[in-house]
Amino acid sequence: MTTIETNPTALPPVEANRKRRQPRRKTAATVAWIIGIVLLTAVVLYPLLWMISASFKPSAEFGANNSFLPQNPTFDNFFKVMEGVAGIPTWKFFWNSTILGIGAVIGTVISSSMAAYAFARLDFKGRPLFFTMMIGTLLLPFHVLIIPQYMIFRNLGMIDTFFPLLVGKFLATEAFFVFLMVQFIRNLPKELDEAARIDGCGHWRIFWSITIPLIKPALITSSIFAFIWSWNDFLGPLLYLNSPDNYPLPLALRVFNDQTSGSDYGATVAIAVLALLPVMLFFVIFQRFLVDGVATQGLKG
Amino acid sequence: MFNKLSRRAGSGVALTMAAALMLTACGGNGGGQAGGTPDPNEEVTLNFTWWGNEDRATRYNEAIALFEEQNPNIDVNGTFMDFPAYWEKRQTEAAGGGLPDVMQFDYSYLRQYGQNGLLMDLTEYVGNGLTTDTIDETLLATGKLEDQTLAVPTGYNAWSLFENPALIEQAGVEGYEGGTSWEDYEAYMASVSEAGEEIWGGTDYTGRIQNFELQLRQEGRELFTEDGQLNFTQEELAEFWGSASDLRESGAVIPGRKLEEVAPKSGFGANLTASEMTWSNFMGGYLGDTGAEDLTILAPPTSDPSVKDLYQKPSMLHAVGAQTEHPEAAVAFVDFLINSPEVGEIFGASLGVPASETALEGAALEGPELEVKEYLDSVSDRIGEPPAAPIVGYGALENTFLTLGTSIGLDAITPEEAAQQFFDEAAVTLGS
Repeated sequence: MTTIETNPTALPPVEANRKRRQPRRKTAATVAWIIGIVLLTAVVLYPLLWMISASFKPSAEFGANNSFLPQNPTFDNFFKVMEGVAGIPTWKFFWNSTILGIGAVIGTVISSSMAAYAFARLDFKGRPLFFTMMIGTLLLPFHVLIIPQYMIFRNLGMIDTFFPLLVGKFLATEAFFVFLMVQFIRNLPKELDEAARIDGCGHWRIFWSITIPLIKPALITSSIFAFIWSWNDFLGPLLYLNSPDNYPLPLALRVFNDQTSGSDYGATVAIAVLALLPVMLFFVIFQRFLVDGVATQGLKG
Repeated sequence: MFNKLSRRAGSGVALTMAAALMLTACGGNGGGQAGGTPDPNEEVTLNFTWWGNEDRATRYNEAIALFEEQNPNIDVNGTFMDFPAYWEKRQTEAAGGGLPDVMQFDYSYLRQYGQNGLLMDLTEYVGNGLTTDTIDETLLATGKLEDQTLAVPTGYNAWSLFENPALIEQAGVEGYEGGTSWEDYEAYMASVSEAGEEIWGGTDYTGRIQNFELQLRQEGRELFTEDGQLNFTQEELAEFWGSASDLRESGAVIPGRKLEEVAPKSGFGANLTASEMTWSNFMGGYLGDTGAEDLTILAPPTSDPSVKDLYQKPSMLHAVGAQTEHPEAAVAFVDFLINSPEVGEIFGASLGVPASETALEGAALEGPELEVKEYLDSVSDRIGEPPAAPIVGYGALENTFLTLGTSIGLDAITPEEAAQQFFDEAAVTLGS
């Protein structure tokens, strides 16, 4: 009994000690973590913050004032940019980029999921060969394709329209997305399909009612990438669009900054900031789904 | 990302269609009659393209509107891009057979495109739709390759020395006189650098291939031989780069590190150096960059004032694509852009001092543009024959020269090593 009695009296200080020590260790670690993360974030975000700060510098301060903050902050750059280029209003460039981005998302989601379903679930002749060929297109450097592609679209009379930039998206030519979805569909239990088949579903119904809802994370991941790639694409629009009326943002950005005829650095940075906003918003809204999508993928793999 | 038309079944249909269309479409290039003026009853659409900023775009749009007003049957589609992207796009179009009808052209690309038959020979239109006797003959010759007239210069500029009077005053020293010896110029740079705080006399001039060319021409030589090989030895190049090592060590020229800090502006544009040698058409850009009210333009130094070391460089040219379906209309538009006094008035000297007398009259230059014109007139004694049209790959060599010059300025490489590297790369570029 004595041992039992002494024990409880001896224990509390130890427990208290442990309790006190544990939180302290936790706080120290947390503080170190936070400092580390903040420092890392600062390094990563610095260019972005610099860009935003620089968009308020008057053009003459570029090169003269190398400090982070502008000496004479001004909104002139933004007013200048909103005036547009050579009679074309700036919103037009945003509009063009939006059409291309949304078109790319719709095309990719529809066509890639259908192609992926075919590769993963249909048993047709030469499937392994076609699948290898599709993966093979991932290995083709796209510089090799520029000129033949250009000739095809030129002879089809599609130059200076959005078709060359969108047709491929509607034909599931992004092998990356098809591959992503194929892997996803292969991991879905086949029993679901079979159950649906017993209930009398054809391929369309299985695709629409079983597969599509289950591969939603893959669809969202693809949409985000398709949108961001399209929004940032420079070479495609450069080659296929001629009229300034059709320019998306990446082309319009360059027009403010021509080394051979004088550069307006302030305006260049200002329109770059504006061009980043939509894509950042898109990312902030959808990144929840992006993380979700990748995580689910990991579980299934 | 780029759309990939793969060999997958889905796009097979498109491919077959494309192949069929290609067979039919390739036959339809209108040859047109030789020379003459465009048929006023034929509805024609011309594609015209240029590089430049939005200020230039506004001016071109004004000129296009005027041309369309004068030629109601001709419709001109103007498109524009910045310089590097512009040539990337032309490269693809050239390979794919879709070059525009009329192009603003750069001297350094003339040989590459001309040699491959991508530009229309304008010879038969000269005096017959295209007036060229308004242009100085040596300048006009810059648009020729062998016997063909492939492009017409819009304007010209020459190598020059800019000075910022505000910085000279701040340093409290004598300004540079212009056109004296190289030693004189170096002494001037040292005097500014010693007197001023955070101000230097100039930029290390050995970083630019044009200054090397200038010194070679002062000895009566050119950068390249007639068959397109380097016309100097590795030792000579190392010596040229080494010749400025005293300037770099004594701090008479701005340190390379400082230049990197202010990039993409130049040391002169960022108000750090009092002088810099460059093409005379930089006046406008430098006024904008420095924010100065006034800049002085002077003759570059020379080892022998009697030698014709400078030349008129076409600031840009206009060329017609070889595959154009409307050669007469395209030539009429080029003629309008080159010679019309109204166009001269719209552009002033922003495309270089107008090459054509009639455009120059219309331009009625004033202020800084007039100063540039006066400078060009003042050095007319030093202006000689222009070198042959730049060799294919000149742009790459010019760039290599600049990069190596920068590395020397940063002490990353010795002049001897740099010369070795330049010759190695030139061997690859020139295929020798």
